[in-house]
Amino acid sequence: MKKIFALLLIFLITSTVTAQMKLGKEHSKLNISCQTCHTCEVPTKNDPCLVVCPREKMVTIYQKPEETPELIVIDQLKDRYGPVYFSHRLHAQMSEMSGGCGGCHHFNTTGPILNCNSCHETSRKRNDVSVPDLKGAYHRQCMDCHREWSHSTACNSCHLPIKEVKGTEKEQIAQRLKGRAHPVVLEPVKILYRTESDKGKLVTFYHDDHTKKFNLDCISCHKQESCSSCHDVNKKSSDSKTKVSDASKSKLSFEVQHKNCISCHKDDNCTRCHSDKELMPFDHQRSTGWTLKTYHAKLTCQNCHGSKIPFAKIDKNCISCHKDWDNETFNHAVTGLKLDELHSELGCDDCHADNNYAIKPACDNCHDDLSYPKDLPGKLIRK
Amino acid sequence: MPGKSRRDFLKSSALIGAGITGLSSSSAKATPKNILSPDRMGVLVDTTVCVGCRNCEWACKDAHGLPAGDLESYENRKILEQKRRPDPSALTVINEYSPGKYSNLPVDVKVQCMHCDHPACVSACIVGAFTKEENGSVIWDTGKCIGCRYCMVACPFQIPTFEYDKAINPLITKCDFCFDRTKEGKLPACVDICPVEALTYGPRMELVMIARDRIRRNPDRYINHIFGEAEVGGTSWLYLASKDFNDLGFPELGKDPAPGVSESIQHGIFAYFVPPASLYALLGGMMWLSKRRKELEQEEKI
Ligand code: SF4
Ligand code: SF4
Ligand code: SF4
Repeated sequence: MKKIFALLLIFLITSTVTAQMKLGKEHSKLNISCQTCHTCEVPTKNDPCLVVCPREKMVTIYQKPEETPELIVIDQLKDRYGPVYFSHRLHAQMSEMSGGCGGCHHFNTTGPILNCNSCHETSRKRNDVSVPDLKGAYHRQCMDCHREWSHSTACNSCHLPIKEVKGTEKEQIAQRLKGRAHPVVLEPVKILYRTESDKGKLVTFYHDDHTKKFNLDCISCHKQESCSSCHDVNKKSSDSKTKVSDASKSKLSFEVQHKNCISCHKDDNCTRCHSDKELMPFDHQRSTGWTLKTYHAKLTCQNCHGSKIPFAKIDKNCISCHKDWDNETFNHAVTGLKLDELHSELGCDDCHADNNYAIKPACDNCHDDLSYPKDLPGKLIRK
Repeated sequence: MPGKSRRDFLKSSALIGAGITGLSSSSAKATPKNILSPDRMGVLVDTTVCVGCRNCEWACKDAHGLPAGDLESYENRKILEQKRRPDPSALTVINEYSPGKYSNLPVDVKVQCMHCDHPACVSACIVGAFTKEENGSVIWDTGKCIGCRYCMVACPFQIPTFEYDKAINPLITKCDFCFDRTKEGKLPACVDICPVEALTYGPRMELVMIARDRIRRNPDRYINHIFGEAEVGGTSWLYLASKDFNDLGFPELGKDPAPGVSESIQHGIFAYFVPPASLYALLGGMMWLSKRRKELEQEEKI
């Protein structure tokens, strides 16, 4: 009896080691401490001295949802029910906001994507019961979310009873999924958070400012969203552009509630967001003192401020951005003043000293008796 | 040596007992039954994993020849609005409670016999119908059962139930840890069907280690308590949860075996009793014995 057990153990150990040996050749160059997985100083192929799974910090797989398989047929465990046709790509798209690939492909080391059954045994009756079997692992992954939004544990939401299986399901489902992407997520314009803060009970969060103006990705904030925050059969879809959220009832800690905002608003004080009344949306003039007129109003924030968030302040000198402007490339008429022939020959800093366009242009470089705006170097075409 | 004198006394009381029923004293010696095997099996119920699908209820009935109906009919979650207890028509039931600290989903708790390591039912059974088997199961012999319902009163979890609605030969029923299935090397029916493997079947010692490991690795998910590890001296069925067990329908129990459980009975003194004709005389004798034993234990402690 003991012998059989020892043999089994050796078999188990060798089979897990072979699974782990499929690592990419380059894995030693990864930015992970070797000690995360190896217990000895110099691991070799024959003696990799691996620590016991799971190695939480080792999830390294990532694939763009678009590059992943559209449909996966899960049919290793047919019994009472037929196979499950899993719309992998749709789920991968949704997972971007809820933990990414690692949510399901947990403990996947570098290199190839391991099959679930490399760790989860197909038989429930087994020696090592510390890791769920394959049936348990699959159902935990799926049902954790599915029952949250469907409020049901009905088997037929994923399975077809075996007696109803016709064999044509795969083609039908593949057809239905072809090229299908997750629909665009409806965003609120603003969210009002009711808080208990003595710095102001109301936080007005302009969601669309952050996504459309400041160009934040969904996953900059929504990293660990539960599926049911979007999907819930009981949720009435609301067209309301304003969402109200009772943050004072939240179970989350102060740190967690502020984490997303603070990652950009590091230097702001509480009243930047907290107030006793609803705040106005972002206004360039009010926040920076610089009015965005005809041309600048058409630009995105990134056009001037670059893509790094939070945006850096920039000065008001035109040539800080418009580095290639001179009297030949710049059409002065856009300012409302069309220069006469004589003046259009001049360099910009002949009138705008030090290229500072915020101050009054100077005429006294050439003209002792003339001054702006009493005298003009051309014709006003617009006030 | 008080322990020795106590054992001597118990031996002699066994002889008295044997004398009452007219059995020879040789049959009253310890047997492999009612001895705790280090390899005894158990089930770890992780209530943070259970989805409350009630497939286990169906499988249990199906495996025990009870009317089970369609598996699909168990999808109706309305029934979870009431708290239920196991009864002769359902040896295990799922009850649902409000969410714990870990998620917003309700907590579902499977209820069945805990298969105690020091079972009060075994001790209470005056005819020795109940036994703790080597694989951990606490089972009973319907042929020996006289329907006195002492086990029902003794069980700290109120598990054994009586077929009150049966006029002829009503029997005691409870989860038998699928003794007939495990004997053949099969898994208990509920463990086998559970879609999420919320029920892990394995050697109890190993399950305790696994449970501790889960708590250590997920302190946000679990409260730091394995129900059944110590309660009433330990049970074969162990539970993990995300909230206090008192809020999940579990009784508040100490670490000592339930009152009335004593080593002597564990060692099977009464295991070979035959239901006697003069039951009441026997009951009287038993109660006297039990009373004496308690007095003696008291004396020992002093
Ligand atoms: S079958 Fe498993 S998941 Fe379903 S109710 Fe029973 S224990 Fe819970
Ligand atoms: S739970 Fe009750 S019926 Fe089950 S073994 Fe323990 S005392 Fe006996
Ligand atoms: S172990 Fe067997 S008898 Fe006990 S609850 Fe599970 S299926 Fe029912």
